Amino acid sequence: MQRRSGRSDGVRKVASGHSGVGVSQVPVAEGKSVQQTVELLARRLEALGADKQGTFGVDCETYHTAAALGTQGQTGKLMYVMHNSEYPLSCFALFENGPCLVADANFDTLMVKLKGFFQNAKANKIESRGTRYQYCDFLVKLGTVTMGPSARGISVEVEYCPCVIANDCWNLLMEFMQSFMGSHAPGIPSVFSTKHDSAYSPGDTMVQYMELFNKIRKQQQVPVAGIR
Amino acid sequence: MADGALNPGVNLEAFAQAIAAIQALRSSVTRVFDCLKDGMRNKETLEGREKGFVAAFQESLHSVSRDLGELERLSNLVGKPSENHPLHNSGLLSLDPVQDKTPLYSQLLQAYKWSNKLQYHAGLASGLLNQQSLKRSANQMGVSAKRRPKAQPTTLVLPPQYVDDVISRIDRMFPEMSIQLSRPNGTSAMLLVTLGKVLKVIVVMRSLFIDRTIVKGYNENVYTEDGKLDIWSKSNYQVFQKVTDHATTALLHYQLPQMPDVVVRSFMTWLRSYIKLFQAPCQRCGKFLQDGLPPTWRDFRTLEAFHDTCRQ
Repeated sequence: MQRRSGRSDGVRKVASGHSGVGVSQVPVAEGKSVQQTVELLARRLEALGADKQGTFGVDCETYHTAAALGTQGQTGKLMYVMHNSEYPLSCFALFENGPCLVADANFDTLMVKLKGFFQNAKANKIESRGTRYQYCDFLVKLGTVTMGPSARGISVEVEYCPCVIANDCWNLLMEFMQSFMGSHAPGIPSVFSTKHDSAYSPGDTMVQYMELFNKIRKQQQVPVAGIR
Repeated sequence: MADGALNPGVNLEAFAQAIAAIQALRSSVTRVFDCLKDGMRNKETLEGREKGFVAAFQESLHSVSRDLGELERLSNLVGKPSENHPLHNSGLLSLDPVQDKTPLYSQLLQAYKWSNKLQYHAGLASGLLNQQSLKRSANQMGVSAKRRPKAQPTTLVLPPQYVDDVISRIDRMFPEMSIQLSRPNGTSAMLLVTLGKVLKVIVVMRSLFIDRTIVKGYNENVYTEDGKLDIWSKSNYQVFQKVTDHATTALLHYQLPQMPDVVVRSFMTWLRSYIKLFQAPCQRCGKFLQDGLPPTWRDFRTLEAFHDTCRQ
């Protein structure tokens, strides 16, 4: 696995990363559009002293296991193939509650060859794109989640780069997130509880993004203002 | 001489005249001595000889005093160029007409001011430092050069085996801390201390004295490209740069020249308190973050966590 930046591990919260990371979703403020809410958060971050550092993107494609495999008892299981601009040479393949595979980026070509077993549900492609901010040793990625043409919600990923054990720095991350997200700071992500004292890995971030995307997909019928 | 023409304080013509006057004075003085040397001669009577000698002597003395008077008069006209200048001859640099191209004079003044200030501050600093007497070893300043070799054997020349023993004892004392000892450059030991999964510390020793520490993240590279411990580059993370500063402060705090092993143990005990670097809130303000940094300071006695600005 190679990352574009020189930085190595760290913990993130809501979304992704190699250090302590948290990924969370911010509800769109009452009576505002997704774009306006993103701008509001960006302004708060900048007021805090965070510097803009380019952009980022995370995308996720859904694959259905095809009928041939379904007869062997795998019916209906979904596989997600994800990319993260933070790890441009890697590709992540995840099952819900299942293993997370980290592969080279040409894994995508392999999936095309396997289309007899896995079928791409193109309509389900979802992605989050936005700006990357740095504040001291924190990395914040503020993204707009889009599915097809429409903006569905907002993702906030916070990484505390110096710390490799996610649980160690959760309280610290929480305090930082509250400083610009207020009461919308999330609860402890489920990946953290299974990690105990092992080091945080980029896959853990992708799991958090996958869960976030799934949550947003389920909300798709709900009007934008109600996304939570 | 062309330079002199640019100086309004110097009258060139008077200069030339004064030089001529000096020459005249010298020749008249020479004549006085010639006259004395020649003595009384070529006169028929003793009286005539005496008269002639006195007259000649008188005349030459007169011409000396006349020439001297002339020189004094001229010297007033010449003026006093440089001797009264506070910077003496270097003050002449201010006469340079092309200030823009060769700003030597202003640079000189600046340098002079700086050196004055430096001297003043160095004086103050040495006064303060002498009061604090941060004696890291028994053979440091304050001890006269003669006594220096005497103090050395007790504290600086310890057998490597002894150092190894002390370090391995400390290593066994703290289960969450692992210490790797290496001697890449002769007898001085270098330690790589790994504290839990929080941080790594490079410690450069001289005998049992700690000379330098660098704190880096657990996931940061501590080796150079050729596989040696990298004792020069600092951490990429602000939090560990801060902890490095505090660790250096701790080195100066824990001092006991006669018992260096106790010093190393105290330092390691203090360092171990960073195992909760990301988990302990500040004991004063109760928060985790201040200016984006966790509480990076650990009290030397109580080992409690504080933000750098929250400690007293």
